Amino acid sequence: MAKYFPLGQVMGFVFSLVLTVVALLVYFMDMSMTTGMIVLLVTAFLQAGLQFIIFMHAGESKDKWSIYSNIVYGFAMVLITILGTLLILLWDM
Amino acid sequence: MAKVDHSVPLEYSTEENDLKIFGFWVFLGAEIMLFGTLFAAYFTLVDRTGSGPSGAEIFEITPVLAETFLLLTSSFTIGLAIHAMRLGSKKATLTFMGITLALGLAFLSVEIYEFLHYVHVGAGITVSAFTSILLTTLGTHGLHVTVGFFWGLFIMIQIAKRGLNPETANKSFIFSLYWHFLDVVWIFIFSFIYLKGMM
Amino acid sequence: MEFFERFMIPHPSFLIYVSMVLIVLVSIALVGVITYFKLWGYLWREWITTVDHKKIGIMYLLMALLMLFRGGVDAIMLRYQLSMPENTFLDAQHYNEVFTTHGVVMILFMAMPFITFFFNFLVPLQIGARDVAFPRLNNLSFWLFFMGAMLFNLSFVVGGSPDAGWTSYFPLADVEFSKSVGTNYYMIAIQIAGIGTLMTGINFITTIMKMRAPGMTLFKMPMFTWSALIANLIVVFAFPVLTVALAMGAMDRLFDTQFFAIGNGGMDMLWANLFWVWGHPEVYILILPAFGIFSEIISTFSRRNLYGYNSMVWSMIVISVFAFTVWTHHFFTMGQGAFTNSIFSITTMAIAIPTGVKIFNWMFTLYKGKIEFTTPMLYAVHFIPLFTLGGVTGVMLAMSAADYQYHNTMFLVAHFHNVIIPGVVYAMLAGLTFYWPKMFGFMLNEKIGKATVWVMSTGFLLAFMPMYITGLDGQARRMYTYSESTGFTTLNMVSFVGAGIMAVSFIMLVWNIWYSFKNSPRNIGSDPWNARGLEWATHTPIPAYNFAITPDITDSTSEAFWDMKHKGTEIFKGDIKKIHMPNYSGVPFIMSCGFFLLGFSLIFSMWIPAIVGLIVVLACMAYRSFEKDHGYYIPEEEVKATEKQYEKRGAK
Repeated sequence: MAKYFPLGQVMGFVFSLVLTVVALLVYFMDMSMTTGMIVLLVTAFLQAGLQFIIFMHAGESKDKWSIYSNIVYGFAMVLITILGTLLILLWDM
Repeated sequence: MAKVDHSVPLEYSTEENDLKIFGFWVFLGAEIMLFGTLFAAYFTLVDRTGSGPSGAEIFEITPVLAETFLLLTSSFTIGLAIHAMRLGSKKATLTFMGITLALGLAFLSVEIYEFLHYVHVGAGITVSAFTSILLTTLGTHGLHVTVGFFWGLFIMIQIAKRGLNPETANKSFIFSLYWHFLDVVWIFIFSFIYLKGMM
Repeated sequence: MEFFERFMIPHPSFLIYVSMVLIVLVSIALVGVITYFKLWGYLWREWITTVDHKKIGIMYLLMALLMLFRGGVDAIMLRYQLSMPENTFLDAQHYNEVFTTHGVVMILFMAMPFITFFFNFLVPLQIGARDVAFPRLNNLSFWLFFMGAMLFNLSFVVGGSPDAGWTSYFPLADVEFSKSVGTNYYMIAIQIAGIGTLMTGINFITTIMKMRAPGMTLFKMPMFTWSALIANLIVVFAFPVLTVALAMGAMDRLFDTQFFAIGNGGMDMLWANLFWVWGHPEVYILILPAFGIFSEIISTFSRRNLYGYNSMVWSMIVISVFAFTVWTHHFFTMGQGAFTNSIFSITTMAIAIPTGVKIFNWMFTLYKGKIEFTTPMLYAVHFIPLFTLGGVTGVMLAMSAADYQYHNTMFLVAHFHNVIIPGVVYAMLAGLTFYWPKMFGFMLNEKIGKATVWVMSTGFLLAFMPMYITGLDGQARRMYTYSESTGFTTLNMVSFVGAGIMAVSFIMLVWNIWYSFKNSPRNIGSDPWNARGLEWATHTPIPAYNFAITPDITDSTSEAFWDMKHKGTEIFKGDIKKIHMPNYSGVPFIMSCGFFLLGFSLIFSMWIPAIVGLIVVLACMAYRSFEKDHGYYIPEEEVKATEKQYEKRGAK
């Protein structure tokens, strides 16, 4: 039975539950907006990295650099789009 | 049949399989941008509630937590399904996939309950810019889960009928990428829509 | 009766009735001809279900030329309307419809399929592959594009054309101000075609990254393949933005959501923002492959290798990132602060640098080259100065403070036509002339070809230079008329004459195709231009499997065919073996028909047929999931026999 539960993935799952609980602190504790956002950003991106690397095996094939570049490029363009949009429509309007 | 390379896992073992996995990663790049755009629109419109309610007024922590743990666990079990597949156990693969889809279905049920709740408290999709973008973002994710449910079901039927071969293994692996990715998206929804909204 | 009223044109005119009759007559004639010559089976077997990248490419080409004609007629109508003050040829509403469809058709249904034609036809040949990574997906991409384009064109005769500009800004595009179904057509037809484009993007990135011939490292790829890789990368990350924006726009119109509506918190500016987050990268999606084509042509006819290969590649990689950082320059006047505008002014000017690098590289390639003025080369030589002019006016527009003067004037219209026509259109026509013999086995007439280029450039200059002047003098774009006292009359008349001359050049192009088809010799071999890239190492016409032996370019450079001819580098090593090929399939076509039904029904809010269309789409996907499709093999003997035939005909 144990062979169906590899240590890496079990640890990954436990870690992702821990990250979720940490993120929940912003709900249950009284935090400033800035602190809260930092906590959420850190936990969310750690969780995403966890999924990509441990669960999705992004680095296992010979194409790993193409796959990583693809994801990083995607996230970079998303951040540019979101920050640019907010800059234009909210922060500097 | 095409050439099978036995030095790599079954799902990578033919040239076609290798191409499909790579292509799907590129597709996930497009999905990152799709949800990124929805987030950009959400952050722009989040405070534009018009005469409707705001996020803090309508979000409930219990269903959100339930959804989060259901989806996180299903992401874990689909990972186990792929691990079992690499060990060559058809039965274990099908069991873990079955659990994954059951969890997915449970997630969808809670989400449908949540949507009905929103409509009930006067936050239907046509009420304000905020409710429009909220329900569209959640709905796009929910639609992905729904499509994934049927896709996973079809793959289970094929594994049951045809066994684990390069083709079914490849499909299962790609499906697992999709399912994990939906979990990634949910983490961002959970953090930046719900938790930030209730902070 | 009430049911049918919704399909009527809200603003009918004599011209629309004429085109209705023409469409019906042409359709009947087409069906008649196909039936008379018993071509239905042939069409289905050889074209509709094909997964061969060369045939799919040719179908894209046909669509692009057809749409070029349609968009061109729109352009002539616009210019005629403005050629005289207070002209009554078109009324305001009709003028709005014509400039809207002119923009959409030219960008999305002419330029996009034209570059996709080159991706399809050239990329697998240039990298030594048998087909694209996902041949069947490629077929689906084409049919989705086709259905989207047809749906959009249907708006002209059923229900009314979109009339809110090709940018379709809200709140104008919302139901309150655009009451006809025209804007529904816009939102849904472009969506369907866009899904096809996204799939093309995924397909070609995978093809280029995974299917290159042995020995072809990334920095040994032909320049066009590089430009295709970068353009498709931008497609994959830009088109989802359009998908979301169109979906939101369609929901606002059909389901009464509040994204862009006035009141209830909606924000019309969000549409403009999202549209251009896609729209600016789209510009680079069009222009980069054009640069790739010119690079191939300029090095071929300068008879030397391309100057600065590495800087060409890096400039494109830089563009792929910068393309996503400049979009605000399309709406400097929308109301955001000077700080934001300054940032985007700077990024916009910065993106001119990598483009400038490319211009210099082409000029250094020409320098000390043995230049041969063929038709494709003539296009390229006209392109460099004309495009630079467009680039310079672009930098003028990039200055946000000055943009308040230029914004929404004819100056802007002149600018973007000045980059798109000499940039994209010239590249497409140059490439078409250049690769024509590879596709069809005969050359286009050089004399008519060169005359076409000169006529086109003359027409272009006459049509668009006056607009710079009237624009600076304050003539607004998208206005259907002006009064005589503005003093715009003469220049607008010159513009119309120029547009007419450009129309003549396109007729010359068609005449050239016909004339050459009748008169050109057919024994031209497989390398009539003394070209350089791997794509010329195939036979003419190209066999279904492209290369009998997969080329190995370990010992060659990015110009493998040139090395083979002049340095004797061996690229076809080993023996002929059986070749694996993908099966043809009709499912993508049926699925696209489902999309057409779904789209058409949504446009008219007819829910039951929409659900039927959706079911067809989903059923095709389910069928695909369960289907066993392993392709087939062309046996070794058959490949050998085919190759023998080519040898007998004296190829190579």
